[in-house]
Amino acid sequence: MKISQSSGVPIYQQIADSFKEEILAGKYKDGEYLPSIRGLAKDLKISVITTMKAYESLEAEGLVTAMQGKGYYVNAQDSEMLKEQHMRKVEGSLMEAIKAAKIADLNDKELIEILEALLQMEED
Amino acid sequence: MEFSNAIEVKNLTKKYSGFLLDVPELVIPEGFSTALVGENGAGKTTLMNILSGIRLDYKGDIKYFGTYTDKDRENGPEVKEKIGYVGSNAYYFPQWTIGNIKELSKLLFGSFDAEKFDAICEELAIFPGQPIDYSKKNSALSEGNKMKLRLAGVLARDTEMLILDEPASPLDPLMRDKLCQIIRNYIDEGDGKHTAFYSTHDIADMENVTDYVIIIEHGTVVEQGFAEDLKEKYVLVKGESSDADKAKEILYTMNTGSYGFEGMCLAENLDKLAGMDIIKETPTLSQICIAVMKAHSKLG
Repeated sequence: MKISQSSGVPIYQQIADSFKEEILAGKYKDGEYLPSIRGLAKDLKISVITTMKAYESLEAEGLVTAMQGKGYYVNAQDSEMLKEQHMRKVEGSLMEAIKAAKIADLNDKELIEILEALLQMEED
Repeated sequence: MEFSNAIEVKNLTKKYSGFLLDVPELVIPEGFSTALVGENGAGKTTLMNILSGIRLDYKGDIKYFGTYTDKDRENGPEVKEKIGYVGSNAYYFPQWTIGNIKELSKLLFGSFDAEKFDAICEELAIFPGQPIDYSKKNSALSEGNKMKLRLAGVLARDTEMLILDEPASPLDPLMRDKLCQIIRNYIDEGDGKHTAFYSTHDIADMENVTDYVIIIEHGTVVEQGFAEDLKEKYVLVKGESSDADKAKEILYTMNTGSYGFEGMCLAENLDKLAGMDIIKETPTLSQICIAVMKAHSKLG
């Protein structure tokens, strides 16, 4: 795993992304444990709280489950799960767009028009 | 996140003439490394000396490892056996030799491991590439080596908490990196039961080992929290000179130059900057500490 201190992407995010990629690629078996939080922090030369936050974000995405006192194990990945992952991403991005639209004082209709126009462009 | 605390402090006060240490509430989370940051004279050493039981003339309650009170600390050996304290000033007598220090440590602390002490002295390169000179007097060592010797003294024991007062200050950059590695190893070996607490002026050096930060100014805790939470609470903002006056009212701290401004913004106030041409960055711990210290400093 390569961690950049100056990429602008938070370190916990880099770790979470790296594990996510490996989990979705099937490099971890169902039920297999991720490295221990403190062991990983030691190996990557980062603070414990950063690895902890990375694992918590993986848990929030439903990729791993925390076991009290034992660590985090990888959940079974199925196509339903992957779809859910992508749905979340879509929802998150749309929420961003809604926020931006509010700041720009766009009404709902204008926002939907933009989305439709973009969809049209994509199809063309 | 739910955590237990290695130390909990309630209503701690200590009065000197012209200085008051007043800490209504303070926690040091168990299983993590915590940095204590503050200006010279902010009360860091006083606080560490009180927590480690060196200073007894204070008022307030201190709880250790969820079980022991500060009275237990004085009445039984448990708390002091569990805590390894390293001061910023020499506390081994100058005329003691390294051999004396090793023998005395064995007498004083049940868990002191003489072989581990030798191994750590070698790892810390007090006598690089040479055998340990047990006849060497403490007074003949450099400041850096005196610090390494004190570190070896506590690391050779089986402790649950390290309290280190300015451990990095007399060390060179390579040794500071080593110190961070030692702290990480200590935390990892404890598997959630080892806690490190250290004061530092150079938080940048300790950035990647620090989990929890406590900032004190003029004897008061002005900020404390997990590094990752603080990095969400504060946002580094850079913008154009034309917006500087308006931004000044919103930002937590701000520097202006002829080409623009740079400042720290509380995340909750970010919305108020809408419409300004700015870039936002996640601050480093060092940047957060400086901003918080600046906001509370009497230096102006």
